[in-house]
Amino acid sequence: MTATPTTLPASVPARSRPGWRRVKKARAPAIKYTALLIFAVIILMPVYILIVTGFKGVAETDPAHAWALPHLWTTSAWRQAWDQLSPNMMNSLELAIPATILSTVLGCLNGFALSKWRFPGANIVFTFFLFGMFIPYQAVMIPLTELLAKLQFPAQLPRLALAHIIYGIPITTLIFRNYYATIPEDLMESSRMDGAGMLRTLWSVVLPISVPAFVVTMIWQFTSIWNDFLFAVFIITDPSQYPVTVALNNTTGSLVSAYDLQMSAALLASLPTLVVYILLGRYFMRGLMAGALKG
Amino acid sequence: MAEIVINGLTKRYPNGFEAVKDLTLDIGEGELLVLVGPSGCGKTTALRMIAGLEEISDGDLYIGGQRMNDVLEKDRDIAMVFQNYALYPHMTVAQNIAFSLKIARRPRAEIKRRVHETAQLLAIEEMLDRRPKQLSGGQRQRVAMGRAIIRQPQVFLMDEPLSNLDAKLRVQMRGEIDALQKRLAVTTVYVTHDQVEAMTMGDRVAVLRDGKLQQVDTPFQIYERPANLFVASFIGSPPMNLAEAAIKQTKDGLTVSLGEAEIAIPHELAARNSLDAWVGKSVIAGIRPEDIYEVTRKTAKLQAAMQVKIDRVEALGASLLGYFSVDAAAPRAESVSAIPAEEVLSEAPLTGTSGTSFCAIFEPRAMLKIGDTTEVALDLSRLHFFDPETDASLLAEDEPEKKKKPEAKKK
Amino acid sequence: MKNIRRWGPGLLLVSPSIILIAIFVYGLIGWNIKVSLSNWRQAQPTSHYAGLGAYRDLAHDAQFRLTLAHLLIFTIVFALGTLIIGWTLALLLDKGVKGEGFFRAVYLFPMAISFIASGIVWRWLMNPAPGDRTTGLNALFDKIGLHSLSNQWYLNDHSVVFGIRSWGMAAMALPAIWALSGYVMALYLAGFRGVPEELREAARMDGASELRVYRHVVFPHLKPVTLAALIIIGHISIKVFDLMVAIGGKQWFTQTPAVYMWIQIYDSSDYAKGAAIATLLLLLISILVIPYLIYTVRAERRS
Repeated sequence: MTATPTTLPASVPARSRPGWRRVKKARAPAIKYTALLIFAVIILMPVYILIVTGFKGVAETDPAHAWALPHLWTTSAWRQAWDQLSPNMMNSLELAIPATILSTVLGCLNGFALSKWRFPGANIVFTFFLFGMFIPYQAVMIPLTELLAKLQFPAQLPRLALAHIIYGIPITTLIFRNYYATIPEDLMESSRMDGAGMLRTLWSVVLPISVPAFVVTMIWQFTSIWNDFLFAVFIITDPSQYPVTVALNNTTGSLVSAYDLQMSAALLASLPTLVVYILLGRYFMRGLMAGALKG
Repeated sequence: MAEIVINGLTKRYPNGFEAVKDLTLDIGEGELLVLVGPSGCGKTTALRMIAGLEEISDGDLYIGGQRMNDVLEKDRDIAMVFQNYALYPHMTVAQNIAFSLKIARRPRAEIKRRVHETAQLLAIEEMLDRRPKQLSGGQRQRVAMGRAIIRQPQVFLMDEPLSNLDAKLRVQMRGEIDALQKRLAVTTVYVTHDQVEAMTMGDRVAVLRDGKLQQVDTPFQIYERPANLFVASFIGSPPMNLAEAAIKQTKDGLTVSLGEAEIAIPHELAARNSLDAWVGKSVIAGIRPEDIYEVTRKTAKLQAAMQVKIDRVEALGASLLGYFSVDAAAPRAESVSAIPAEEVLSEAPLTGTSGTSFCAIFEPRAMLKIGDTTEVALDLSRLHFFDPETDASLLAEDEPEKKKKPEAKKK
Repeated sequence: MKNIRRWGPGLLLVSPSIILIAIFVYGLIGWNIKVSLSNWRQAQPTSHYAGLGAYRDLAHDAQFRLTLAHLLIFTIVFALGTLIIGWTLALLLDKGVKGEGFFRAVYLFPMAISFIASGIVWRWLMNPAPGDRTTGLNALFDKIGLHSLSNQWYLNDHSVVFGIRSWGMAAMALPAIWALSGYVMALYLAGFRGVPEELREAARMDGASELRVYRHVVFPHLKPVTLAALIIIGHISIKVFDLMVAIGGKQWFTQTPAVYMWIQIYDSSDYAKGAAIATLLLLLISILVIPYLIYTVRAERRS
């Protein structure tokens, strides 16, 4: 039976309800909450391990104490992880912040033109963009690394940023286009009748009401770029410029058993996106919806 | 202020559909012309072509003598009031009203003065600092008007500006807009599907159907002399009663047989409609509900009387609508406006009566009930006749007394 | 001409992106295909046309075939897992429960974490070590008396099912299911909530039980959501790379085509073969996505 509460029409007198039904009605929310809690515990389990193991001393990370809380809480693993990863976290910030901003701006311009200042063939252009969201990046990786290597960028991080900006265009365009589709057409027309051209309309009428789309897009892009491994591992060959994902994989991959360090490093590397997520989770959810080609 | 000349205006979509077909209209300086018609008749498309929001496929548009086909909407010096007002949600009322002037880079002092004047004119001074969300529907409507007025444009375009208001407010705003337009004397094109709005506000009314202009004239003429069956049935509420009728020649003159009634037609009416040519044929005869009387002591002279059985009564307070069936075929559904053709489910109405249902506006205290039989009379001078094939009115194009009088003076 | 003055600016605004996408997506795809057909099979780049040699090699490469089998199993388990769990969670949350925001946030948060980071925990959780060295989930199972559940996880390759010796991949799908169930839940929840309340009420007034309201009114509305979820999960699955690298490194038992491509380039410097694998991945995704994109854009135009 379903765990959702059975609602009877209010007009049905209580005494006419079959008794078993009343019992089920009372029990249903309990079953539902139990199910929800079990799922929550399972999903949070890796976090428990991350935190608990991260605070253990090396001695306690042996199999015998696998699931136990640390006897002795220590931050030595955290300090070690910070020492190893902080330069790479700076790299990731240097990478993610400008790339997020630029790809969001491009998405805004595209989304506006593709939904509110349309030109013949706008739908074809949009489909042409969308496909770029689904392609396996492996299919462009070999020529991309070759091409980027030819560009005269002084450092490798800007190359990676460029890749993230370009391959972020489809998703950012999609989010903005879907958002702008909800803005009434007559607002644009009104602005045009008031004598405004395209840029003026974008600046004075559209941008001031685009804040939600900006937040959603920036969260999405920041998370994707921060968490990316594929582009980074192909494009960055200079270890001093590794973003945090590559550095994390190298540190932990080479270690066999220093679980405390592995776990604290993993959590540390995830902190920026987690903080963004905890603070702005509602918008994150909206971003997901947009990513599903809805709207 | 400028006159608008529309010549053969056509909107054709890539799929071949023509929303507006060969529309020709002259709108005089300071005139308020209402474009009216059922939904989908092309009235909004026509307005949007004038505005420049819609490409003109064919034909020419002149505003103040200047050809506007290729002029961008922002350069046409036209202000438009939208159905949903289209107020900028992030701007205050003052900013909304001032937006066009800001874009035109008017000096700040001038903008401030004109915003103030406009607000005063519309009695929205206390709302200048509010946002559109904090306003009621009627207030938003005024702000939308203000945004149009402040520009002092050549032309106002209004796209169903009152359709989102409730009935009482609509009546009030109708009067206000009309008065404002007269005062500012700006050439205005007003689109509505509401024939009452059209009749009350328009200096002239243009009736559109399926993209084609049916008739353009003063409200009075549109009502009194509808050019075809569609206009006759669209303008007027309740609509004109229409049914097939046969024209016969008798020794006393022409008669028209409407169901069982055989009505003698006054000579002058027959001449005006050239009914001689229709002897022995069917026409569509029409009579407005208010031209059907209940026969009492006072009324019964010239008018043809008929016995009718009342099937339905609607007491409206100020009047009483009585419905009865006339044993005559109704005009083709696609000729009249009552119900869109695609919505006609069956020929026979649900009431189960045969023939055509007629409506009459009776005295409010007529005391009629369903099932009553009463005698009604038609005001014969107000009979309308239409060609059943072409739907066109049989009324001669030039009404003798109207056209000849000025000529006589000249002579 | 007035036409171009009207829409010209819009096109101009998009044109930088059109150029970038044309070069970096479509141009590079073409270039990659050219590489796959070249004789660039050593560290030194060459670009002479060499026909389908790289593809022929792949056809005879048992390791590549194994990666395809891996991908197949991974995709099936991943898609079924996320769809079932996501659907269930959405159903549980649909009617609104106290603390919905909390549950939603918990179910969704794995989306914010990279596979590289979560892979580290999952490598620990799915530790296959036996005996004294038992840890992770196996240790937990032992502790709560469910020793029978203990297994080799991603090393489960000894059982041959359907002729495939690679069921370790089913375990590899667990972290992916963990990461993306919340996402599918969000899709389904939007789907559930998108069913107009009047429709449900009308069904209730018609005497339908709550079960039947779901069965006959709500579920039929979810077909497009299921399709969207399948396409999204499917394409993520085909692309999956960092999860495998985080848990298995370059070892054969967690290799998917995407990992194998990387190995071909970095360890064997066989660029043509790597490009050929990439081209096949693209082909696979195109078969999945192109009909869907056409369907979506058409559906949007219709409404």
